[in-house]
Amino acid sequence: MFETYINDYNEAVFEIDKELALEVIESALEEGVTPEQVVFNIIIPSIEVMMAEIVINADTNLAQHFMTAQIAAEVTEQMLAKFESPPDIIGRVIIGTSYGDLHSLGKRIVMGCLKSMMVDVVDLGVNIKAEAFVDAAVAQDAQIIAISSMMVHTATGEEGSLKVRSLLKERHLEDKIKLVVGGAPYRFDHELYNKVGADSWAADGVTAAKIIHQLIMDGKS
Amino acid sequence: MIKQHNLILHTEKQSIHLKIPEDLSVRLALDIAGLRVRAACGGIGTCGACSIKTVQGSFNARTLAEWQKIPAEEREADIRLACQLYLNSDAEVFLDNPAPESNWKSLDLQHWADYHYPKFEVKHNIYAVAVDLGTTHIRLSFWDRNTQQRIACRHGNNPQVALGEDVLTRLDAHRQREDNLQSLTEIVRDAIIEGIRDILARDIGEIKAILAKVGAVNIVGNTVMLAILGGQEGSELYDPESWEHQITCLPVDLPAWKQAWRMPDADITIQAPLAGFIGSDILADLIAIDITQHSEPILLADFGTNTEIALWDGKQLWLTSVPGGPAFEGVGLQNGLSAEAGAIRAVSLINNRFVFDTVDDEIAKGFCASGFVDAIALLRTQGELKLSGRFLNPHPEGFLLDKTNPHTAVKSGDIDAFQRAKAATAAAMQQLLLLADISIDNLCELWICGAFGQHLNVDNAQISGLIPTMDSSRIKLFGNAALSGCEKMLLAPNAKKITDDLRELVHVINLSQFPEYDDCFINHLRLKPFLGDK
Repeated sequence: MFETYINDYNEAVFEIDKELALEVIESALEEGVTPEQVVFNIIIPSIEVMMAEIVINADTNLAQHFMTAQIAAEVTEQMLAKFESPPDIIGRVIIGTSYGDLHSLGKRIVMGCLKSMMVDVVDLGVNIKAEAFVDAAVAQDAQIIAISSMMVHTATGEEGSLKVRSLLKERHLEDKIKLVVGGAPYRFDHELYNKVGADSWAADGVTAAKIIHQLIMDGKS
Repeated sequence: MIKQHNLILHTEKQSIHLKIPEDLSVRLALDIAGLRVRAACGGIGTCGACSIKTVQGSFNARTLAEWQKIPAEEREADIRLACQLYLNSDAEVFLDNPAPESNWKSLDLQHWADYHYPKFEVKHNIYAVAVDLGTTHIRLSFWDRNTQQRIACRHGNNPQVALGEDVLTRLDAHRQREDNLQSLTEIVRDAIIEGIRDILARDIGEIKAILAKVGAVNIVGNTVMLAILGGQEGSELYDPESWEHQITCLPVDLPAWKQAWRMPDADITIQAPLAGFIGSDILADLIAIDITQHSEPILLADFGTNTEIALWDGKQLWLTSVPGGPAFEGVGLQNGLSAEAGAIRAVSLINNRFVFDTVDDEIAKGFCASGFVDAIALLRTQGELKLSGRFLNPHPEGFLLDKTNPHTAVKSGDIDAFQRAKAATAAAMQQLLLLADISIDNLCELWICGAFGQHLNVDNAQISGLIPTMDSSRIKLFGNAALSGCEKMLLAPNAKKITDDLRELVHVINLSQFPEYDDCFINHLRLKPFLGDK
């Protein structure tokens, strides 16, 4: 039963047709699907389909990534208000763009997907100093720091991920908090994440959510 | 309407097809096409270097210069001077000894509003140069300030392109360049002087003595290019704090620069950019169209690797810039080209067949940005491409407009790059309109500047939502606006006041300060028209 909804919903997302996607959810609710089922049986599996699709089909474009995240976050937000009991949050992420970087769109894709996957996201915004990332992660008891950089100099700069890594080391937090990076420069140099001291990276926002989710689950086990 | 004729030009190596207006000499037409005759006198028939053989067709009668310069036996063999030669009918010519290939082509000055600046006596150093330094292209013109005449114009590629297509990659390359390699500053300075020397060699016939008489050089461009040209590191461009402020870009080594260019008395001015990513090229655009003389709202966009957008609300100028990505220069597309031979600059659909207009009429080798805009619009109207930017049916290798030519493939990745560039631009336009509280319907004019504007089909640009939907009579294309404005800064008697006054009216907008811009960008990703409120 959910398969049809997932297919219809994903087709609408692939067509970046937000209205149609929302209609699919609306009709699912009308036909008796619960808000919990919408999130766990339609939205999350459809994000997973999109994640798989990105790997095998280059015909997914940025517009579709945005739409996947935007609609998923919006629908999840609406459904959460209707949940019978508060959902179990699987973990917490501190996210922001690196110091000197004002590009926020990639970060938004990651956030949208993570929220739907029941990961709590604390968004520090853009142009964030290394100390702020680490302080927030400690204060909020987060498992992951995620840093988005759209420019080479903000990805590799001394005030960015490199400094976050040295602060984590200095404060003996490396076991507790993992560092994930993403953004255009990492796509051109697949080893760059290593050079900036990150634990992992992703080529796009949707995949980043998958990797962060995985790191949290690994940490738990 | 001036009649046009077809010309087929043969050389030992190739044949090209051109359309030439009756009032344009064969030499100038070939200069624009880039397959040039040899020349050293500026086309007045005194050097005799541009000999060419007529094969068939009807031409103007031989001029006095030709009787003087061409020996009798060559005249009998139908040799003419290309600079004196005009077509009366379709024709064919043979060029035995073309000039060596060059990075520089003459600018096509047709449809270019010609300003008539009042003459003023300049006793010494009568020559002046205007330069529009772009990330991908360089345009320049050489002037005699005594007669206020443009001697010649050139455009060529910015050789720095090899070191990065967009401004930030270029800046990174500039800072990280190893000491033993030629700096990006030297590369671009060498390119500009080479363009100037090309004019002097071909259009005046004397180089050193003329360079010594250059009194003024005025340069506009985007901030990164100007910082590099000035020999600066450009570090402040990495700091978001400085993005909204004026950046001076003063040259660090002016005496050495003048010496290298052999222009000891030249007053070289780098026109200060308006902000971190808003160059003085858009300032020149605004001066070129006299924007502040209008009382009605005007929107202007200078499309390029870094697209700059200005909105005049009748009192102040709202300015911003967005990354167009190299999509708007053609070069950033997988199947893209800059305006070189074989580049598709326009596509039309005739009897259900895609027909291409290519540079030099050669077989299609890839898309110019304007050709790609046409292709997207036609595939949309044919129903082959959906609003989302996905094809109706799968085309893993791209949609082949000509089934026999892989260079005509419209590829998914290229559509994606275009969608991002057009969404960034359209969202920026919408954001400025919102801030100034002006609706599309109230816009008096929309100006599209930059090389992209030269061949843009505005109806097709509207189908994909690249520009707002408005009556096409209100849309003006001005490809060489920045160079034209740069010339005005150099030659108009009150130029400094015009420039200073305009700077006072500028209100720079950093779009990253507006969270709603992101949503606006996402909404504009679909390939649908950009409509007004009504």
